[in-house]
Amino acid sequence: MSIILERLTKWFGRQLVVDRVSLEVSDGELFVLLGSSGSGKSTILRQIAGLSQPDDGRILLHGRDVTHLPPQQRGAGFVFQNYSIFRHMNVADNIEFGLKIRRFPPAARARKRDELLDLVGLAGLGERFAGQLSGGQQQRVALARALAYEPAVLLLDEPFGALDVKIRAQLRRTLKQIQRQLKVTTILVTHDQEEAFELGDRIGVLERGQLLEVGPPEILYARPRTSYVATFLGAGMVLVGRQENGRALFGDLDLPLPDGVLREDGGRVQILFRPEQVVVGEDQPPENAITIGRGEVVDQAFTGASRRLRLRLPPLQRVRQIAPIPPFGEGGLLVDALIPAGLPVTTRSLWVSLTGWHLLQPPAFQLLVYAAADGRFALPPLAGFLAERLQASLTVLGVKRDSAAIEAARRALEEGLAASGARAELRMRQGEPLDQIQAELAGTLYDLLLLPVDAEPAGGSGKNWPGSLVGSILENMNGRWTTPVLITRGQIGSIKRILICTAGGEPGKSDVRVGGRLAWRFGAAVTLLYVAAPADGELSPTARVHLERAARMLRGLDIPCEVAVRSAPSPREGIIHAAAAGDYDLIVLGSHGPQFRSIFGWDDITYQVVSSVTRPVLIVPFDPI
Amino acid sequence: MNFQPAAPRARPRYRPMRTFVPVSTLLLVLLPLLLLPLAAVFVFAFRGGLAAFWAALTAPDAQFALRFSLLIAMVTAVINAVLGTYTAYILSKYRFPGEQAVGIVVNLPVAIPTVVVGTSLLLLWGPIGLLGRWLDPFGLQPMFSPIGVLLAHLFVTFPYMLGTIKPLLDELETTYEEAAYTIGATRWQTFRYILLPALRGGLFTGALLTFAHSLGEFGATVLVSGNLRLRTQTAPLYIFSQFEAGNLATANAIAAVLAVVSFLIFFFLLRYTNGRKGS
Repeated sequence: MSIILERLTKWFGRQLVVDRVSLEVSDGELFVLLGSSGSGKSTILRQIAGLSQPDDGRILLHGRDVTHLPPQQRGAGFVFQNYSIFRHMNVADNIEFGLKIRRFPPAARARKRDELLDLVGLAGLGERFAGQLSGGQQQRVALARALAYEPAVLLLDEPFGALDVKIRAQLRRTLKQIQRQLKVTTILVTHDQEEAFELGDRIGVLERGQLLEVGPPEILYARPRTSYVATFLGAGMVLVGRQENGRALFGDLDLPLPDGVLREDGGRVQILFRPEQVVVGEDQPPENAITIGRGEVVDQAFTGASRRLRLRLPPLQRVRQIAPIPPFGEGGLLVDALIPAGLPVTTRSLWVSLTGWHLLQPPAFQLLVYAAADGRFALPPLAGFLAERLQASLTVLGVKRDSAAIEAARRALEEGLAASGARAELRMRQGEPLDQIQAELAGTLYDLLLLPVDAEPAGGSGKNWPGSLVGSILENMNGRWTTPVLITRGQIGSIKRILICTAGGEPGKSDVRVGGRLAWRFGAAVTLLYVAAPADGELSPTARVHLERAARMLRGLDIPCEVAVRSAPSPREGIIHAAAAGDYDLIVLGSHGPQFRSIFGWDDITYQVVSSVTRPVLIVPFDPI
Repeated sequence: MNFQPAAPRARPRYRPMRTFVPVSTLLLVLLPLLLLPLAAVFVFAFRGGLAAFWAALTAPDAQFALRFSLLIAMVTAVINAVLGTYTAYILSKYRFPGEQAVGIVVNLPVAIPTVVVGTSLLLLWGPIGLLGRWLDPFGLQPMFSPIGVLLAHLFVTFPYMLGTIKPLLDELETTYEEAAYTIGATRWQTFRYILLPALRGGLFTGALLTFAHSLGEFGATVLVSGNLRLRTQTAPLYIFSQFEAGNLATANAIAAVLAVVSFLIFFFLLRYTNGRKGS
């Protein structure tokens, strides 16, 4: 093994950018690290080169532990996106620089330099300076420079990112050819899926610092394990359905569950199919075909060799679509298909069937429960309900300010968990609760934070309650905070009726999405509430369109849904009255978005509602998309 | 002191009718402020004819003052080139507590009146100064000696080198250094072969600026030098002394020489920065 990474971890402040990444790259392999921007891929590469220090983990190059060695002693060749050709040196001097440093005799240097110039296709350009070369040529020089001293490994950080498409394709071929010829172990970092497919012997897909999947391009494309990889590598449809009696159900589609998918009656299962696996036709497919239904063409795009059709089908019963991401207000099922570009599409209505599919195991829902850890602990009834209905993996977080109290708190939490009979992982952290919650959320991808609150609200005014923790969490729910927060108190232990509030201003779309997803999972009914000021009279067109779209989307998921418009002097009063009148088990609110209106938040609707009602409140972070 | 080339910008077309009034106003303002004083130096310098000018210039005191000034300016420029570059490198490449404070302190000399600088140097190194009193018994007297003049000039001109080098270092992408590190170059090799060549232009500009400022330094020098003729008297001090003694022609002759040297330096700077703009 040329490169071995063991549980590589890196924090930038409170943000975990590389999360326990382990990887082995064999001799002569061209490995591609693929991820969107901010996924930590460049950080990993820089750590291998020694340009950044990991906080934890080990790096081995050819069996040598280089974790704490400076870059000079690692023998890695590094190619940057911006070429970084030394501008005061000509091409020849650039390439010879590594040999000069290593005190090679001039004759050997010249021989090596000519060999490399030839290899990268720049023979005869040794006298040029960076300013006299095109971007593609400069990157060829950078490649030759990194190869001159025969590095142990070659690391390329988005090397073609700054080049135009045509040059990029040429350089890819050159790189692949050189890599094959020299058999140098290479890691290339890119966000370009096409580049990864073309170059990689194997691909590793990174998301938010985690190495999700590793494998050859064909396997990752055809049989991904996660929906993220399925949708990041190429276009595709991903739908969520249910398991029953060892079968996967997507509406009327009834497919056998393959091995490897955890069998659990009522459990969720995801199906992936690619546009090239979709067959469209004017005639009804034969009985034995896997038919999804009949849909109408809503969009066509000419892509050169083929034409991409987007069809809208009636929604499948109890099926939720996660890719392509349905636009807000979409009630139907969207399916992309590829047909030959020359084939005219005359009818708007076509039958859709599949030639192939792949089933994915959805990841467990990650639920984090914060435990104040004062005295005895009992798991809130709602946590048990969520864990059961969402098949969630449960983590309980206890935070204490001083180290002395941590052990006692841990024992109390362990006892409380044992008494409730729930399976949960226990995490203890020391410090300020808000800081520690944020650190925990930054370290693991949680889907929901459950925040049990004991205190009773102080009679509606809300000025003395809730405790400082809820207040400070609300203040911090802007920008980087992406996890919805469920504030619960009292004994509500199941959710049948959900109130989703959209009041004034820019209506929140993420509230509807998140609230709708929970309703879908619980089989709960939803009321969409819009609070209008009495002076408004008519409902504004924006609000009406928003409500219509939201309702259409929810009904597409088979969620019983009604729309309520209430007139009240303030949004807060409207929401509180509606909540009391309808006996809702859950109130869904958006957080305030990027600007916070006042430091203490007394005039913040979210804060006012949280402090005035005794029912569980789900606060969905503002989603800028 | 900013000689960096400005971004190219479309210039308005020359229109004689619209241009006449604003341009002549500008020239009228500049005439008494800048142009006439410059002319006056030369007019007075040559009033007594070329022979008198030459005599004034070749007087031993004048010769010493000129040579001493040039020497001090040269040494100052060299020392501050090294110190300023080093400071710029540290401030640009390292993060440390108190970094901002250091950044302010090293730029302070531009803001402090030079007379204050002279005073504080005297209070530190003078015979009864904080440090000077411990040196005095050994016969070491930095003040009222060429060393004192050099100390004053180093202090006063310190920010000029730093001010030209640090922006260059800050703007240079760190990937150049990182590329050198991965190739195997040590920190020193990287500085010597990668950074320093990239700073060449800045070093030249900064050194010339330092030289020019040192050549004209008066306020701090007059205090720390003691104005001792043939020992610590720089050219500006000599001009001032001659002027006070009523030898206007002598003072003006030296002043004309200083002005010419300054013109030359300025000319080089302008040529150099314009040349870089073109490339």
